[in-house]
Amino acid sequence: MKEPLLTVHDMEVSYGAVQVLFGVSLEVRAGEIVCIIGPNGAGKSTVIKAVIGLVPAQKGQVEFDGQPITNSPAHEIPALGITYVPQGRIVFAQMTVADNLEMGAFLKRDSHKRREAVQAVFDQFPRLYERRNQPAGKLSGGEQQMLAIGRALMMNPRLVILDEPSLGLSPKYVDLIYEKLLDLKRQGRTLLMVEQNAARALELSDRGYALELGHNRFADTGAKLLANEDVRRMYLGGA
Amino acid sequence: MELLEPEILLQMLINGLLAGALYALLAGGLNLIFGVMRVINIAHAEFMLIGAFGAYVLFNVFGLHPLFSLLIIVPIIFVVGYYFQRVLIERVVDRPMLTSLLATYGVSIILINVGLLIFSSDFKSVPVLQGSFLIGDLAVSKPRAVAGLVSLVLSVGVYLFLDRTRLGKAVRAVSEHAQVAQICGIDVRQIRMLTFGMAAAMAGAAGVMLSIIYSFWPGSGVDFIQKCFAIIIIGGMGNFVGALYGGILLGVVESFVGGFISTQWAEAVAYLLLVTVLLVRPTGLKGVARA
Ligand SMILES: Nc1ncnc2c1ncn2[C@@H]1O[C@H](COP(=O)(O)OP(=O)(O)OP(=O)(O)O)[C@@H](O)[C@H]1O
Ligand SMILES: [Mg+2]
Repeated sequence: MKEPLLTVHDMEVSYGAVQVLFGVSLEVRAGEIVCIIGPNGAGKSTVIKAVIGLVPAQKGQVEFDGQPITNSPAHEIPALGITYVPQGRIVFAQMTVADNLEMGAFLKRDSHKRREAVQAVFDQFPRLYERRNQPAGKLSGGEQQMLAIGRALMMNPRLVILDEPSLGLSPKYVDLIYEKLLDLKRQGRTLLMVEQNAARALELSDRGYALELGHNRFADTGAKLLANEDVRRMYLGGA
Repeated sequence: MELLEPEILLQMLINGLLAGALYALLAGGLNLIFGVMRVINIAHAEFMLIGAFGAYVLFNVFGLHPLFSLLIIVPIIFVVGYYFQRVLIERVVDRPMLTSLLATYGVSIILINVGLLIFSSDFKSVPVLQGSFLIGDLAVSKPRAVAGLVSLVLSVGVYLFLDRTRLGKAVRAVSEHAQVAQICGIDVRQIRMLTFGMAAAMAGAAGVMLSIIYSFWPGSGVDFIQKCFAIIIIGGMGNFVGALYGGILLGVVESFVGGFISTQWAEAVAYLLLVTVLLVRPTGLKGVARA
């Protein structure tokens, strides 16, 4: 079995006095799609934010590609080859589509390289090219999600972490987004994602983790989790 | 009514635009800070006065023309602002806004008192330019023209920096969403220092330009900061371009009110304009409703 690309070991996180993660562990191997599922408030976003340095972990280790990266500052994460698509498809609404993408490649100092990377994303998302000079705030929800994903591809990352990529999108765009995620996998990228749309996400995932109130509850292949009675009852809304 | 002669109206308009450009430069810096870190820098006009007194000292000690002083003062105030952010503002930036208001208010009082200690409460000025440029029937005061045009060029320069360059776009990204900017690889703390440095430098430059058109004393900041507050609300809180429009609008309206009614009224103009704009557009000219 391949070495894990990302390992989270025994992570604990508190917001002020309120602890929300109580020793969560998971791993993601190169080339996999791994999904974290769980009800509202289970701590899914928090796990991700602690991995990428947006919230501090009080305890536990994070390793990427064999290197410890626990509590690295968030702005150093993209250079390692990890990028992030935030929950709620946050784009820089007043900036143009092209400038949003350019910010995804902020760490490339050479403007020529930034332009090349923008062009590569336009090739994958022709719709973004059509709207390149519009403020991102004018895009539809689905287009904004495309933009947030495109922005996360600008550094040619090995691992893309996505928080609820299909939340609140029309069915047409949900299909499109999932299509794109499979494309990314085919390009050899590794994906870690959080989804409430658990059934759909597990179908696509190699493996999944179910969280409950800040604890690991289930961990298995996507197919086995889908088949598991308890998982179906607790996470997939019924039998 | 000879006031309605086209030359006189044009004259008032030009004077207003020139004064407005200086307001725009000053308020643009204040709004930049607010946009990036949601901090209102009460000491902003004192940074302006550092520039003005700097020009005064350089002129009286070394005989340096303020246009040359600009080249010395602007970089120095940039560095001062950069470290001021790091040492003071960075500590209060994530606290409730009252904390940073009080902190910068304290700094403003300290700077005023240091100024009084060094320069006393006498009015100073740097009378390097006299007379007017004559363009047809129009006479445009030389110091006003120079101050206005330099302010305009600097404001446009900052605008182009924000609009076109990688770092400038990063400043805008941080002002829209600091966390997401951070995860794009932007070091938010550094952007905040850059922002404060730039804003202080803009204020300092405005001060140098002020020194050739007005007389000033260490307490002169109050009038200006009040106008700046009005301008950034008129233009839209946190919107740099909005502050430029707001500043120019205020300059022009003040000029017309001063010409038609009285210069005493011009003082109240900022507030009348503020109320009018807010009635029509609660978010300001270029404001965006924010969550
Ligand atoms: N910034 C914060 N400050 C305080 N508490 C927070 C903060 N962010 C999240 N929490 C709390 O931590 C817990 C876990 O939140 P988290 O966002 O990780 O859950 P989630 O599983 O992603 O939920 P959702 O499905 O709603 O996105 C929740 O109880 C939430 O209220
Ligand atoms: Mg979440």
